Amino acid sequence: MTEFLFLIAGVIYGLIVGVIPVAGATTGLIALYPFMSYFAPHPYLGVIFCVAAVASSTTGDTFSGILLGIPGANSAAATMVDGFPLAVRGKASYALSAALTVSTINGLLWGSLTFFLMPFYARLILILGIPEMLGLTVLAFATVVFLSTRYWVRSVLALLAGIFIGLIGYNVNASPRWTFGWDYLLDGVQLIPVVVGLFAVPELIHGLSARAKTAVHENRRHGEQTLEGIKSAFSNWKLSLSGGIIGSVIGILPGIGGAMADWLAYGNAVATNPGEEFGKGNIKGVIGCEGANNAQKASSFIPTVLFGIPGAPFAAVLMSLFMYLNFEMGTMEVINDQRFLSSLTYSFMWGTLITGAVCIFLSRYVSYLAYVPYKYYFPVLLGLVTWASMQYTGGWEDLAIMLIMSVIGVAARRFKFSRPSMLIGFILAARIEKLLWQTFTIYRPLTLLTRPIFIFFVLLIFLVVTAGIRNRSRLEYS
Amino acid sequence: MKVLLTVVLMLLALTAPARADYTLIVPQEPGGGTSIWATVVASELEKKLGERVIIRHIPGARDQIGFDKFHNRLRFDEKTIMVSHGGNAVSFLQEKVDYNYADYSPVAIMNNNIIVSRREDLDWREEKIIFPERSGTVPESMALALLVGGPDAWDNWSQRVVYVKRMDTPECRMAFRRGEINVTRENPAAHKKHVEPVPGAVPFFHHGLFDPESGKFDRDPNFPEVPTLEELYSETWGAYPEGRLYEAYKMVKAWRDGVQKALWVNRGNPDLERLRSAVRAMLDDPEAMERIHAKLGSYPWHVGGEAENYMNALYPLITEEAMETLVEFNRDALNLDSFYNEKLIYRKDE
Repeated sequence: MTEFLFLIAGVIYGLIVGVIPVAGATTGLIALYPFMSYFAPHPYLGVIFCVAAVASSTTGDTFSGILLGIPGANSAAATMVDGFPLAVRGKASYALSAALTVSTINGLLWGSLTFFLMPFYARLILILGIPEMLGLTVLAFATVVFLSTRYWVRSVLALLAGIFIGLIGYNVNASPRWTFGWDYLLDGVQLIPVVVGLFAVPELIHGLSARAKTAVHENRRHGEQTLEGIKSAFSNWKLSLSGGIIGSVIGILPGIGGAMADWLAYGNAVATNPGEEFGKGNIKGVIGCEGANNAQKASSFIPTVLFGIPGAPFAAVLMSLFMYLNFEMGTMEVINDQRFLSSLTYSFMWGTLITGAVCIFLSRYVSYLAYVPYKYYFPVLLGLVTWASMQYTGGWEDLAIMLIMSVIGVAARRFKFSRPSMLIGFILAARIEKLLWQTFTIYRPLTLLTRPIFIFFVLLIFLVVTAGIRNRSRLEYS
Repeated sequence: MKVLLTVVLMLLALTAPARADYTLIVPQEPGGGTSIWATVVASELEKKLGERVIIRHIPGARDQIGFDKFHNRLRFDEKTIMVSHGGNAVSFLQEKVDYNYADYSPVAIMNNNIIVSRREDLDWREEKIIFPERSGTVPESMALALLVGGPDAWDNWSQRVVYVKRMDTPECRMAFRRGEINVTRENPAAHKKHVEPVPGAVPFFHHGLFDPESGKFDRDPNFPEVPTLEELYSETWGAYPEGRLYEAYKMVKAWRDGVQKALWVNRGNPDLERLRSAVRAMLDDPEAMERIHAKLGSYPWHVGGEAENYMNALYPLITEEAMETLVEFNRDALNLDSFYNEKLIYRKDE
């Protein structure tokens, strides 16, 4: 019974942080540090609470992406490309129920495969080396650049701008790079002010200046839309499943992160439906990437638990929270601790299921948010995203970065420079730099040609770039 | 006026317990190794001091910002204690930082060691060593150069060691498991958890524990079978290591592992003895120490005068030649920009 109460508490907490725009699982977990000592006498309850929060925040962040056009976390950015236009057209419940169904089913499916078969994944992780990680990262760049917008030249420029911002901090020689003498930047620009500036603020300003409702209220009933959404999740099961496969593979790879999974899955949805229009409210765009969302979170537990190597940013924070509870990931003590493993399984699976059911039920009420005029919730949302941005130092510097990024975000939106490209460039900049250094220090170019998986990724990148230039994406999202 | 006075008095009363707290400054984000160590130590110290000990995280700039803030401002508060780690000591030697250990009194210092491991199938006397380097791993990078280069290490190392840049700890662990790097390093607790279970991994050497009396590095009783670098070098090259690279290596490893975890207050802090007594009481408490050992292994602590003596033994290792070599090695071998800080050079008469 106590376990169940903590599970519910975790689900509620996760839902709250998931629904807050740009907060997401990582921010929610960071906010838990001061409270971990309360779990010390009952560490397994701490595990249940934290994992349930991860499971529910992943599902919960769908709301802000679809209803507000603002990603709940960086990993939900792809959902809003088609989800938000659907909400604007009065189909918020339809988009939400489809997304929530796909998200829940994939969470349960990949959660089962992750937790019950965990020891068998060790070999898979060891097959993919540094060059393969490099290939996969470049593939993510190519996918976002050429599929997120039809203006691919501007998209490339946006990607480069994102990489530039992402490389601020220390360079490879341990010297400050592009910090302009500002010590605050030595640790690099933080993720949340960037997401807030690029996505949240431009959408809020646009909504306010348009003096419009977020969405048009459609007369069709909520129940009808919900049913239709659930049906479309099942009728597009192949898309949902392939999104799940993409998400779970990305989740297994340490450090790659959720943003890439969603965009690759979105890219897959676009590529496998060549005759259809995306970016203006195609439900397949929502289903494709939502399939990846929870699957990626589930499979991130594999490298985290087996090797103590975080599979995603949220997993890094979770790992250190578990350290406070005396569970050190990657150790035999933890791998052989049946109670720990069943706490993980129990909380993730039940957390996902309860969240899915509650969200589908709640979507009726939450979706009314989409019909509320901006002027009412503009101050609330602005307050929330500002709070989230100030979680790094709490000082004026966090606000300054948020403001600078907001100016960039508004300009990018206005002049159609792809904001998703900029975001993924920012998130993966340090990683691509590292991987390039590591690959070309350890491997000679010719030895790379003996690695079939690396070659496969190179070919895939070539295909995406060629197809992107020849057959322009129809998306105009920026 | 009366209302204002009442409000002020009430606020003062409300904030009184907060003002009585000790604050541990941790230069990392929550969740880092030093942060977790500080959490364990703070909870034990609270019991011994009978006062609240809270932790304030000041992360940034590879853990330098927090220490610099302590130096420039926070140390003048009598209730503020700095928690430092080995990486701070390396930065102290080779980077432009504000903090200076000579300005503080050590409450307590905990030593540690680093265990270097290799893949069993690596014929290190013939084949290339592939090792991930970062600014905090300079001692291991130097040790490998010494080991493969021998007496002419300064001229020979580059042919035999490949330093891989930009690999963080989790990436190193994966790359070592996959065999993409063939030498790695961990602190003793992490070595047991992350290297020992890896098939094909064997211990290579460790740095030894610095003895402030003799100035030598002793075998680590936690790893009695693993040789020190000096022992492995002597066995390989038939002589004890010497020369400028070895002097620089000695300096960096003694500083980094000697003050691996330490608590500092400003010189002249009136609470110093009280804090030292609390640490001694903690060291005498077997349950408290069991928790601390589980995090970092069982390594010597130095408290009070013993800690002062330990620090006094470290300063003479900072010679002009050692510092010049450190900067040159960083530049030529590791491609790291470092700073030659002339002010740190030890001069006997000063």
